Amino acid sequence: MDCEQLAPLYEEYALGVLEGEERAEIEAHLARVCPHCTPGVEKARWVVAQLAQMAPEAQPPRSLKSKIMDAAAARGDVAEIAKAPLSRATFPVWAWAAAVALALLTGYSIRQMGNQNAQLAELRKEMKLATLQNNALQNQLEQGRMVASVMMSPDSMPLKLMPKDKNMPMVHAYLHPHMGVAITADQMPAMPAARTLQLWFVPKKGQPMSIAIFRPNSEGQIAIVAPVNMPRNEIAALTVTEEPSGGSPQPTTNPAWIAQVN
Amino acid sequence: MLLAVVQTWPEDNQPTDASLMERILQRDSSALETLYDRYARPVYSLVLRISQQPASAEEIVQDVFMQLWRNAKRYQAARGPLEPWLFTVARNRALDFLRLKREKQRRREDSADFDLPPLAVVRPDPEGAVDQARRAERVRALMNSLPDTQRRAIELAFFEGMTHSEISTAIGEPLGTVKSWIRGGLLRLRESLEEARS
Repeated sequence: MDCEQLAPLYEEYALGVLEGEERAEIEAHLARVCPHCTPGVEKARWVVAQLAQMAPEAQPPRSLKSKIMDAAAARGDVAEIAKAPLSRATFPVWAWAAAVALALLTGYSIRQMGNQNAQLAELRKEMKLATLQNNALQNQLEQGRMVASVMMSPDSMPLKLMPKDKNMPMVHAYLHPHMGVAITADQMPAMPAARTLQLWFVPKKGQPMSIAIFRPNSEGQIAIVAPVNMPRNEIAALTVTEEPSGGSPQPTTNPAWIAQVN
Repeated sequence: MLLAVVQTWPEDNQPTDASLMERILQRDSSALETLYDRYARPVYSLVLRISQQPASAEEIVQDVFMQLWRNAKRYQAARGPLEPWLFTVARNRALDFLRLKREKQRRREDSADFDLPPLAVVRPDPEGAVDQARRAERVRALMNSLPDTQRRAIELAFFEGMTHSEISTAIGEPLGTVKSWIRGGLLRLRESLEEARS
């Protein structure tokens, strides 16, 4: 089917009702970043999203906002927003005197509370550590979900990256036209700290393109998803090389794993 | 006394979604709070309509806003307004939840069918030509003007994530009829929204 025939189906595709050949045709056009169908489907997604207005209005629970703000803060990456300093001129002399008196009075009380504060600080430290561990687990879980999602999609192309060294395990890749490429492996040997693995898309013409830099975890597993920024039909092969920590602009070693795509 | 010093921003001075997303990139949580105040209600309404469970809806909405906080870089401001992007992300998450629930009911086994929402889902909307409320009103008016069965078919697709043939089975109408209802309804929706923008 050509783009003209597919155009009336864009909204139905965005709605998710299309099946079979019609759906496959649109996905094939999207996979090769068709200049007509890609913006057409984007526009259709905008139209379809407006159907959300049909939902009966409901008020989220009051507690939800604070849960979200707490969760954002718990990630520990909230910026301290600078506040404008108060002008000295706005405080009269009597206010400064009162403030000093108050400070002296509260100073005594604070000293009495020293022990409790030390305990509180310790508890806070433990909470921060627990939060960090929780965040790490959440990230791991989310990454796992992303990998599972790409692996399970019927639109993903499974590929086996064969190791050059027969003693090394096989690396699996799942190439999805929109969600990215998922890479999985088990029983990978530990790597020196100064080295990393790097995934490359080798195009039919031109230089390899760096897709992801990764290392096996402490259990020798790899499970990552990286974005795909090259149409599937232009990819000749997927390779993994070993590179210095931080990766390289172009491969500096021979591929340790390779899979032919087209 | 207090009321005298509380100022509300005039409509024109409201920070744009794009500027709020920029601030989120700077890890400014007050920008997330503003976006929450702006969109939590319609997003929660949508998710609750799909999931039908307040506790799950709450969890999904939290997930959507945390996704926004974590992956602000992936939102492409140049491609349009945030609202349809949020709706699409929220709908996908809620439908994933629904499918997972159905799958569990059917097979009684766990599944990890969480899908990452597509990110480039919005079209350019220069100058925000149609405001939110007006657009919402148009959509509701149009959908209410459709015959009941046609509206029902579109609702099953949007809120239940059903395909043409699933809808045909669910409402007992021929596949061809269902297809033409949905196509006709979506065409009218597109025309109505385009008319409102021009």
